[in-house]
Amino acid sequence: MRWAEIVLVCVLVLAVFGTTLWVTANRLDRLHRKVSASRMALDAQLVRRASAAVDLATSGLLDPASAIVVADAAYAVLDDDATISPGEAVNRALHADSLGDQREREESTLSATLRSALDDAGDLAELNADPAGSQLAAALAAAWYRAQLARRFHNEAVAQSVRARRHWYVRWFRLAGYAPMPQTVELDDNEGNLPLHHG
Amino acid sequence: MTGRALRVGIVCPYSFDAPGGVQFHIRDLAQALTQRGHFVSVLAPADDDTDVPEHVTPAGKAIAVRYNGSVARLSFGPRMAARVRRWIEANDFDLLHIHEPMVPSLSMLALWEADVPVVATFHSAQARSRALQVAYPLLRQSLEKIAARIAVSEDARRTVIDHVGGDAIIIPNGVYTSAFTDVPPNPAWQGQKLPGLDDSPTICFLGRLDEPRKGLPVLTQAIPDILLRYPKARFLIAGKGDEGKATALASLGAHAASVDFLGGISDSEKSALLSSVDLYVAPQTGGESFGIVLVEAMSAGAGVISSDIGAFRRVLDEGRAGALFRNGDSADLARVIIDALTDRPATQARREHAATWVKRYDWSTVTSQIEAVYDMAVAAQAAIPPPVKGRSWQA
Repeated sequence: MRWAEIVLVCVLVLAVFGTTLWVTANRLDRLHRKVSASRMALDAQLVRRASAAVDLATSGLLDPASAIVVADAAYAVLDDDATISPGEAVNRALHADSLGDQREREESTLSATLRSALDDAGDLAELNADPAGSQLAAALAAAWYRAQLARRFHNEAVAQSVRARRHWYVRWFRLAGYAPMPQTVELDDNEGNLPLHHG
Repeated sequence: MTGRALRVGIVCPYSFDAPGGVQFHIRDLAQALTQRGHFVSVLAPADDDTDVPEHVTPAGKAIAVRYNGSVARLSFGPRMAARVRRWIEANDFDLLHIHEPMVPSLSMLALWEADVPVVATFHSAQARSRALQVAYPLLRQSLEKIAARIAVSEDARRTVIDHVGGDAIIIPNGVYTSAFTDVPPNPAWQGQKLPGLDDSPTICFLGRLDEPRKGLPVLTQAIPDILLRYPKARFLIAGKGDEGKATALASLGAHAASVDFLGGISDSEKSALLSSVDLYVAPQTGGESFGIVLVEAMSAGAGVISSDIGAFRRVLDEGRAGALFRNGDSADLARVIIDALTDRPATQARREHAATWVKRYDWSTVTSQIEAVYDMAVAAQAAIPPPVKGRSWQA
């Protein structure tokens, strides 16, 4: 083989490899944005669920004891999710790897508290008998169901991103840049006996 | 219930020239979404002169191809790709809802072109296909665009997990259950529901007669046993297929006198039939991923009896909303039918449970769930817009 041919083959191999790296880097960037964006959507939806829980707790339709524990659990979520500017929120989301253990615990507590406050068929029937009450319950159910969906979709995106980052060339060439390895959001959002989406 | 009205583009892979379950689902979904104030446009293969439902943009002639074990009418090729692109550009959608993205037709092309949030619905339950395994690396980038995956049944969800990887949420096919409740019955098809006819029950079957997996032979072989106990029972068999009818008549022999072949029936005849009969029997032996007729029969108030295949067990709430028999076992079917006709309080209890149970399959419930998925898909993309607007080369 002549030198020219060897050089040509080397150039071709390098070009193919370079293109692969470039395509992969683009794909990783897209997945990273997808993960961050779906985490923000989940975060926003969980906040909406907590707000709906506060509305219910302050409506005067729950018994005082339930109202206090529900409000306490919901405010824990809302206080944790401090308001920041939209640009800052995007920036933070792009640099985060999860919602954080504390937030996940608070969300699980809110789910458990709402279940114990409303799980009894009688509690819910009483609430639904009042027009304002049934509206509040429907708003909570809608927000809750959407939060469940958002978490499923987010974890799906995380799994795709983690799969894409497993390859040796991604790790060797640091194609993922400074993006942290994302983690799935694990929290208890089981609705128990509450009818979330059959009404 | 939801926020703003969305501009939704729905893509159907199968032709409206020969509509089936997926096409009807899409037609009804488009109607339900429009009623809730969304703008909907459906892109589907169809001849330009085919009479298509409202909202449907025909994408042109489909080609009949053997795919995944049956003949499907699909659309593909560069001209189709261009049509898909023009449709997307012309409509300025907030969201694309793509059905069966793994079927090599318009859906796959639309997913390739999409630059707005994508929701995908998987309908079919299929065995692992080698063609898809080969194509998977090519499709991966497209599939990663999907923000939310829906499966219409547990079996369809299994297919997603096995073929595509990852998971999907389950939202069942919708049925306008109200179209089947309070339908005036046809006395000619009524049995035990009429006074004094306790010994003359009516039992119906609906489906292609010449497709063995629809299970007509399972029913015909059970008929002699049932006639021993209920000699005046009548069997109403609705559906097309001359060959299947001939086979059934041959195996029935003298018992054929108790069987009426109604041929193909219209939608209104179907709802009247299901509202009139005592029992609806679904002896399908497999290949079903949902069981929409079971839902229709439950809405109409017929007692339902089905084979115990997975999809049907779930639709019948594990036997609480209808009785199950061992799949393919005619003797067991005869036993279950006789039990249902004899123990009428038990049948009545199942019908009452079914009346509440079917609400989860009603379009009002299903549309709310799909709207929630749309909300979340749009929210996830709105939070951080994608870096390149328009069609990037690596799409």
